[in-house]
Amino acid sequence: MKFIENILDKHRDRFEKGGDLAKWKPLFEAADTILFWTNERTKINPHVRDSLDLKRFMMMVIVALVPSTLFGIYNVGYQHFYALGQQPELWNSFLFGLMKFLPIAIVSYAVGGFWEVLFSIIRKHEVNEGFLVTGILFPLILPPTIPLWQVAVAVSFGVVIGKEVFGGTGMNVLNPALTARAFVFFAYPGKISGDKVWTAIDTAKDKVIDTFSGATPLLVASNTEAGGQAVQSLHNFQYGDFGFINLFMGFIPGSIGETSALAALIGAVILIITRVGSWRIIVSVFAGGYLTAMLMNVLAGTESTGMFTLPPYYHLVMGGFAFGAVFMATDPVSAAQTNTGKWFYGLLIGALAILVRVVNPAYPEGMMLAILFMNVFSPLIDYYVVKGNIKRRLKRAA
Amino acid sequence: MLEHYLSLFLKSVFVENIVLAFFLGMCSFLAVSKKVETAFGLGLAVIFVLTITAPMNWIIHEYLLREGAMIWISKSLAGMDLSFLNFITFIATIAAMVQLVEMVIDKYSPTLYAALGIFLPLIAVNCAILGSSLFMVEREYNLPETAVFGFGAGFGFFLAIVSIAAIRYKTRYSNVPAGLKGLGLAMLITGLMSMAFMLFSGIQL
Repeated sequence: MKFIENILDKHRDRFEKGGDLAKWKPLFEAADTILFWTNERTKINPHVRDSLDLKRFMMMVIVALVPSTLFGIYNVGYQHFYALGQQPELWNSFLFGLMKFLPIAIVSYAVGGFWEVLFSIIRKHEVNEGFLVTGILFPLILPPTIPLWQVAVAVSFGVVIGKEVFGGTGMNVLNPALTARAFVFFAYPGKISGDKVWTAIDTAKDKVIDTFSGATPLLVASNTEAGGQAVQSLHNFQYGDFGFINLFMGFIPGSIGETSALAALIGAVILIITRVGSWRIIVSVFAGGYLTAMLMNVLAGTESTGMFTLPPYYHLVMGGFAFGAVFMATDPVSAAQTNTGKWFYGLLIGALAILVRVVNPAYPEGMMLAILFMNVFSPLIDYYVVKGNIKRRLKRAA
Repeated sequence: MLEHYLSLFLKSVFVENIVLAFFLGMCSFLAVSKKVETAFGLGLAVIFVLTITAPMNWIIHEYLLREGAMIWISKSLAGMDLSFLNFITFIATIAAMVQLVEMVIDKYSPTLYAALGIFLPLIAVNCAILGSSLFMVEREYNLPETAVFGFGAGFGFFLAIVSIAAIRYKTRYSNVPAGLKGLGLAMLITGLMSMAFMLFSGIQL
């Protein structure tokens, strides 16, 4: 490490103002501060001393994402071999998944990083490590079959329109990764919805087993006919095991990183212990979802769709609910900032996601748009929480 | 029956939000959304004007303008069709209501009156309001439905303008690229908001 530090120190002056490489300072600074501690001195107060700066903060999110990423990679391979009727071996599956996942992640990082660096050089701000998180979150919420050019277009939209036009990291209103996904979802729906995209198979080459159906559990449940029981149709599903334990573990078709509620929960524990993610948001999203699903069970009648009958604990482990609650809703920038606001924010995300799953026939999954929708309203929630606080304290002082 | 009105209300607020799904009423939506208080005031004014004008226009349309409307005056008027007067009559009703709102606000909240400025009289030509009256004709709502729809459309406008005001308030110190400061960013935010509102598109109510 000393060796790298020496090299960096030797060339530091060239990147300062007046140096021949001053234009590339953001890049130098990014390399410098991600490896070492910044030696910049604060000139005006407050002189906050804390080793948890933005970079370390964001790295914790990446650490928390490791279980979901590893499991996601494995599951891509698992689904592939399962569809071909072969025994999914651990290493084979993992390697196959890696072959599918790596190109998506590389494109996401390269294209997103390009925009990030371009903006930071032209606008002379630092390269922000918030992008490291966006760049890995985005591939995790895509199906493994997504064309790479769509990844590139979407991540450009997410980073530029979702973040950089607002002034960069810390100032965006919507979660950039979800903005990018919503962009693909509405622009190229054929590649990101339905039952063909969730299993990585080459239709020209691979021969799938007869019972093959790439449908996600949510799609199966929402296709239950009126008056039926959603659990029953999950149970009767020929291809794959859609029992509760398996849904919780995540050996099901779906976006790369979202299927395993268990991996998301491990991530949640890491985020909560390190206090990087807000436990208030995570708890309230789950509570909001659970209560709404319970309400839907009560409202279920003979004419209502089968989705009404799905028990609350199934809802929480299916689709992107757990992953979204842990990694997307807790985004410290686009979430509500006040503690009271976080409860409202989380409860409404959970409630809306379940509501859309049950009553909106257009989408089987509502988590992505529910989070984006509440991102839109979180400044308003904060505004009134702060207002209310001011009013209360004025009353106390009077 | 109550359920029907409730779903009509929810539909006009969320699924077919007058601003974020139809992009009507954009001028005041973008211009008066810098501060939450002012946006709140304008939102209330729009709710009020819409809730009154939509049913009033319905009555006028039903009993005076549509084909065969004036049959209640005399049988000989059965073939009379004045619906080509829809636009001008609706605008006149709306302008009259806005005058009333203006006088009320001027009397009871001079600060809001000053803050809304030119945009208060301009509600008269706010296309969200005329649009709602025209939707009401096109979709053949009856009187209570029109009242609910008018209130719902107004509430949708209120919700949209207050939330964009909070977002713009949050971004007021952001390091926004120079060319996008102000309206440019507001338009991008509007687009992103309407993408988020697509959460509800497709819900059958």
